[in-house]
Amino acid sequence: MNAIPLIEIRDLRIRFHGDDGRVTHAVDGVDLSVANGATLGLVGESGCGKSVTSLAIMGLLPKQSAEISGAIRFDGLDLLQTPDQALRDLRGNRLAMIFQEPMTSLNPSFTIGDQIIETILRHRGGSRKSARERAIELLRRVHIPSPERRIDEYPHKLSGGMRQRVMIAMALACDPRLLIADEPTTALDVTLQAQILELMRELKAASGAAIILITHDLGVVAEVCDEVAVMYAGEIVERAPVDELFSAPQHPYTVGLLGSIPRLDHRAEQLATIEGMVPNMAQPPAGCRFAARCPFVLDACTRAPPPLVEVSPGHLSRCIRAPLERLVS
Amino acid sequence: MALLEVEGLVKHFVAERSLLGRALAHVKAVDGVSFSLEAGKTLALVGESGCGKSTVSRLVLRLIEPDAGSVRFDGRDLLSLDAGALRAFRREAQIIFQDPYASLNPRMTVGQILTEPLALHDLVPQAQRRERVAELLRLVGLEPRLSRRYPHEFSGGQRQRIAIARALAVEPKLIVCDEPVSALDVSIRSQILNLLRELQDRLGLAYIFVSHDLAVVKHIADHVAVMNLGQIVETAQADALFAAPRHPYSRALLSAIPLPQPKAKRTTVLLEGEIPSALNPPAGCRFHTRCPFVIERCRTEAPELVPDSAGHAAACHRIAELPSADAILPAAGGFSPELAKLVAAFSRKTEGAAASGVGIQGATPTTT
Repeated sequence: MNAIPLIEIRDLRIRFHGDDGRVTHAVDGVDLSVANGATLGLVGESGCGKSVTSLAIMGLLPKQSAEISGAIRFDGLDLLQTPDQALRDLRGNRLAMIFQEPMTSLNPSFTIGDQIIETILRHRGGSRKSARERAIELLRRVHIPSPERRIDEYPHKLSGGMRQRVMIAMALACDPRLLIADEPTTALDVTLQAQILELMRELKAASGAAIILITHDLGVVAEVCDEVAVMYAGEIVERAPVDELFSAPQHPYTVGLLGSIPRLDHRAEQLATIEGMVPNMAQPPAGCRFAARCPFVLDACTRAPPPLVEVSPGHLSRCIRAPLERLVS
Repeated sequence: MALLEVEGLVKHFVAERSLLGRALAHVKAVDGVSFSLEAGKTLALVGESGCGKSTVSRLVLRLIEPDAGSVRFDGRDLLSLDAGALRAFRREAQIIFQDPYASLNPRMTVGQILTEPLALHDLVPQAQRRERVAELLRLVGLEPRLSRRYPHEFSGGQRQRIAIARALAVEPKLIVCDEPVSALDVSIRSQILNLLRELQDRLGLAYIFVSHDLAVVKHIADHVAVMNLGQIVETAQADALFAAPRHPYSRALLSAIPLPQPKAKRTTVLLEGEIPSALNPPAGCRFHTRCPFVIERCRTEAPELVPDSAGHAAACHRIAELPSADAILPAAGGFSPELAKLVAAFSRKTEGAAASGVGIQGATPTTT
């Protein structure tokens, strides 16, 4: 990335200490950065550490069980060293997050207006009246019809798509610099998903905020992201500009993922499969974590963990066999 | 003769009752659905939440009773079957559900789960049941030694394999697959889809495949029925429907699926507004509140589902006037040449590696 990053994560490691004394390495040495106005897609399957990474950025991991090291620099601060009080001033203000489940992330006993106004008053102050006006304006921006009336409704009166719009309005309440969206459309029907993705593109163009979009859906990534980081077993295994990732992936896991999705634009008699299972993260393997499932594995892969190296400008892969073109030519 | 013939199926659920128990409001979950399915083929029921696709699948199995309509399975009228005959029918039609975590009894071992249908229908003499369980597990790509384990010891994909094995235990002719891969990770999803196709080829199974994901449907279905608010709005051979969708709703659904192809050149039809409630579906065409091509007639008169000579049917008044669907269809060639080669190499190698058994490394118990 050429621009100065808005957020820069260095060597982020997150370990969870279970009650039974087991230690799970959820995130292991993640480096990431996102520039102002850019959208980074964070992709991977269940348990790869993508959501935990985002919760660490927001400072939302439980202190008792999660051991976090590394650095998360945001706007001149190291979020991991920032005291709770200061973090609270950041969250919902310059740092905002949208979750997958709009049904559970709104408080059912307050109107949506109350919940948006609370955010505005907490961070911006001012009168309740002006905050209410701003809330109506925000609802209008996310295309909620007749916002003057809707603002006094309770979450249960709204459909799933509407609730997600309210969540987005709330996240935008204080013009965040960074928006983290964790599977924002996964719980929605496709026609609503298309509406929400369109809205996100629109808002990004209007606000210039940076976005980290966490998803398992490669189609969503292709539609809205500029850059993609693929995570596997707590590590980033590939990072590339979106076009390159989809046209010439440089990590076998990414190849497997791209080959395994049924597509409207490609006919495959047989879908690719990634055999085997994700390694047990209480005892990660010594070498490459994907080695046991990788069809291109060599002895060297299992001996030492491969570094994340630049294969071409801006395109990084954690695979000693990259560039993969060599394997098929 | 078709294996399954469904005619004018109707199911209204009571949503609200008066003090005296009189029904005040109905959810018109299924409202006049007809289709047929040949043996060995796959019919996909597609649509958004609440369109009635799951209700249809349950009506077809007579897990719930329809208010009107008929279901004929292998020539027999399903709705007139008595308890004994219905029980016999259960041998011929099975179901697998979306959530493999909730559809297996956590207190039974896999062996017990798979033995139960064998015993219930008295299919296999007791002495040979263990052998049959082993055979079923191998059929779905699991090792027979896993039969002593409990469901919680398996991953989601493996549990779905167990659910499939349980359905196969009675040697059915039809399996209803209700969103069978929606809860699974993408790489696991492809394993299950491949397995379902392989089993169909081997055993001549017919599937009713209920899904909201048109990309998955395109991969697996022979025939597709698109549902909106309790009714079929378009039905056709899968190839025909994906090549030239006719109904504005099918087009919107198809165009809304994000393509894994950055800068894909196509137009997305963005539907305005919300999905109307099935409690009070719009008059006339039920899609008219969201349809970009709505005219006055659509608001008052419900369109008929009219098939052409090839059997491609759509329920829309304006079908003849609609613009070509080309702009919303994804351009072919989603794989770059490099990616196509890499995926081919990836698949070739994994097939070789997996010859000894499919995906069984999860024999290590998951953490609890």
